[in-house]
Amino acid sequence: MRIPRAKAAFALPVILTAILVGAACSEGGGSQKGHVKAGGTTSLAWVGASPDFIFPLPPATNTNGYNANLENPLWPNLTYDGNGSQAAVNSQESLFSAIRFTDRDTTITITLKPWKWSDGAPVTSRDFTFVYHLLKAEVPNWYLYVPGLFPDDVASVATPGPHTVVMHLTHSYNPTFYTENVLSEVPLLPQHAWDKTSMSGKAGNDDDTTGGAKAVYAFLAREGAQMTTFTTNPLWKVVDGPWTLASFQSNGAWDFVPNKHYSGPDKPILARWNNVPYTTDAAEVDALRSGSSVDVATLPPNDIAQEGVLKSEGYSVAPVPYPAVGDIMPNLHNAAAGALLRQLYIRQALEDLINRPQIVSKVFGGAADPGNGPVPVQAFPSWASPLEKSGGPYPYSPSVAIALLKARGWKVAPGGTSACQRAGTGAADCGAGIAAGQPLRFQLDYSSGSATMDEEDAAIQSSEAQAGVRISLKAEPFNTLSGEVGTCTASSHPASGCGWQLVNFGYAPYEAYPAGDGFFDTGGYNNQGGYSSTEMDSLINATEYGSSTSAFFSYEDYAARQLPWLWIPLPSNIFVYRSTLQGFTPLNPVSGGLNAEVWSYRP
Amino acid sequence: MTAFLIRRIGQAAAVVMGVMVLTFVLIHLEPGSAARAALGPHVTAGRIAIFNSTYGLNEPLYRQFGGYLAQVARGNLGTSYALQQPVSTLIAQRLPRDLLLLGVSTALALILALPLGLYQALRRNRPGDYVFTGIAFTLYSMPDFLLAIALIAVFCVQLRLLPPEAPQATTVTGLLADPRALILPVLTLALVSVASFSRYMRSSAIDTLAQDYIRVARAKGLSQRLILARHVLRNSLLPVITIVGLSFPAIVAGAVIAEEVFNFPGMGLLFYQAATSHDFPVLLGSTLVVGISTVIGSLAADIAYAVLDPRIRYGRG
Repeated sequence: MRIPRAKAAFALPVILTAILVGAACSEGGGSQKGHVKAGGTTSLAWVGASPDFIFPLPPATNTNGYNANLENPLWPNLTYDGNGSQAAVNSQESLFSAIRFTDRDTTITITLKPWKWSDGAPVTSRDFTFVYHLLKAEVPNWYLYVPGLFPDDVASVATPGPHTVVMHLTHSYNPTFYTENVLSEVPLLPQHAWDKTSMSGKAGNDDDTTGGAKAVYAFLAREGAQMTTFTTNPLWKVVDGPWTLASFQSNGAWDFVPNKHYSGPDKPILARWNNVPYTTDAAEVDALRSGSSVDVATLPPNDIAQEGVLKSEGYSVAPVPYPAVGDIMPNLHNAAAGALLRQLYIRQALEDLINRPQIVSKVFGGAADPGNGPVPVQAFPSWASPLEKSGGPYPYSPSVAIALLKARGWKVAPGGTSACQRAGTGAADCGAGIAAGQPLRFQLDYSSGSATMDEEDAAIQSSEAQAGVRISLKAEPFNTLSGEVGTCTASSHPASGCGWQLVNFGYAPYEAYPAGDGFFDTGGYNNQGGYSSTEMDSLINATEYGSSTSAFFSYEDYAARQLPWLWIPLPSNIFVYRSTLQGFTPLNPVSGGLNAEVWSYRP
Repeated sequence: MTAFLIRRIGQAAAVVMGVMVLTFVLIHLEPGSAARAALGPHVTAGRIAIFNSTYGLNEPLYRQFGGYLAQVARGNLGTSYALQQPVSTLIAQRLPRDLLLLGVSTALALILALPLGLYQALRRNRPGDYVFTGIAFTLYSMPDFLLAIALIAVFCVQLRLLPPEAPQATTVTGLLADPRALILPVLTLALVSVASFSRYMRSSAIDTLAQDYIRVARAKGLSQRLILARHVLRNSLLPVITIVGLSFPAIVAGAVIAEEVFNFPGMGLLFYQAATSHDFPVLLGSTLVVGISTVIGSLAADIAYAVLDPRIRYGRG
């Protein structure tokens, strides 16, 4: 499932229990079609929420990450992330036939494939400019808008041909970053059918002016929120994806049927694809265990012990690493703990005390990324540096942590609470802002509702105590936690939003290119803890604007050592699917959509 | 009676207004930001500004409340921050489902509890009474979710007799068309209530049986059946009516569990999710509906008292 970066973090509680990744769409996906039975219905279980908006450019006020599951099969994005089991672009499924970066990577020439919309009209470059105009007019009211990126960074767009788009950017970008992380967020939309401001109006070129584009956007956003007309509104019947919407119920269940005019390589084999909402993962697992009609679902990490029972029920189980970094974010500007957390040696000690191998094996049953640094080594093996692959800079070692604290003037009290003995800013002192006698004590807030997250944080609390680091735990519902964790910086850290000290939301998600922009750069939108380093900013810029692998590894290793966040293991998604369902594996960490089009039942 | 009704409706309106004021103030005192709760932890300041402006959250509280009252007066309960749907639509989708679930389970609980309580009163301190008392205490002390999971484990996973989910239809007629799927959620809610109602019925019936008028009825030669039906049952029902009314919030709370476990999204789950995500419009709308329902229930209980007990005549000074 595609959950864009900003959305994915919001959707954490449901992702941990219910994310549905599309089966990997391998380049050879179509090869299975000679041995499959056409037709049949597949039912997918979704936990926690369901879509409520169908227009693929949701406004800032709509944060429902599940909308992508409804929209992407109808209007796929320009770049399809996820190829086989690899976190890479799938050129066969993508809407472009070529993307060329020239002029020192400031000009992008996109050649579109000669695909057709479901009403027979061709997919053209005008469909791209339509999207560009709408987003340009509505900045920053596009939900996926990131200041500085698309469309801010576009100086001009030209369409020299019906299938050619030329974008001139305001500065150069790493082609991998731009293709995998930026263009993968942009769908093509049917300008010939949607460029109007009322249902009765005729489609024209309203988007050519800012005012017109705003009016078109307002009209489409208004229609896109009408759940009762999702299946009847003529707007939403014009699609270029492999599926069309057959039904949508007020309880959040929806069904797809094949788009008979789909131009892509993998025409759907199944006759119907049902999406069934579940209130909780417990209800979903009960359904699986009771021989229900659910064909594909996810298994919560704490239910991994059910694997044997589910296999006996005719299901197969397949884990897939999640394209995200598991982390505990420190608030470097909290009034009580900020001075402690700003000290790198304290963050190092905290990291040294996290028994990550034990958490992977005991809490997650082995199905987890080890959390060695900012790039998950399982989801992105090609982007994981040798340092990360070797276990990261801070392997579990209580003795190293204790030595580190003692060397900096702390009286270490294993099992108790360590306290600063030598206040001051010298090399052997506790550090700036830390008073003599100050205890090494933190509160760790985390998202409630997951038994494995409870266990993970309890394990961290326990292992930190070995060096007298006293951690108190506070579990809250994800949305409550979101409401309380504000962005804190050296210049702005109000008590109302900066009362938190350490927070574990579960993870922060990446696109296909696991760069650190937005995470660890100064003012980054994911950087609530207020980490700021000119060195880090410079290294991140090098990954975003340049295309050197060694530059990427330099950034990665620097981040791994600097610990803007504490690295922790991240459980894989565990999928349960009907054993007779073919094409479901290999699973892909960053699949660009729910590509049930390659699924089929064994004859 | 008319004067009584007018007075009670006036009181009810005042209570509902009080509930709205209190709820509005309390939810705005909740720590944390509604925008951040709705938009996620990684939201930018610009997006928070758009959110607050869209929903008027940057206005002073009194102005927000005034706006809300004007909106409610026009029949508009606002739009959910999280679900992006009109609150009235969300409630209209869920309330009938909940009313069906709660109505059927409460009716079943009463159908089972009343004769059971009466039976226990008549067989007081005998083996039958002890057995049912034990069962009642077990069910009453058992958390709803545990009972639900136990029922699923037995009837769905082991015996494969019933589906583990409540009906998924979106209309009441659709729900009723799948009665097998209703059995377990209804049973879960009903069994816990049976335990409570039967205990009240038992103790009330024991008191009634000790009354002089029962002895008189027996002395006059009335049959046991008539005594029970005409005198004991009717007089014993008064405290049970009170406890049914008072149980309403507890039944709704139980419905949250049933909704979660049996995949039956209703008002309880809507309210819970709104509470954890600072979804003020949904919280206010749900509270308003529950407040009005409670007031109506209380009014209905008062009227039922008058029907059951001729000595109670409202409005006669």
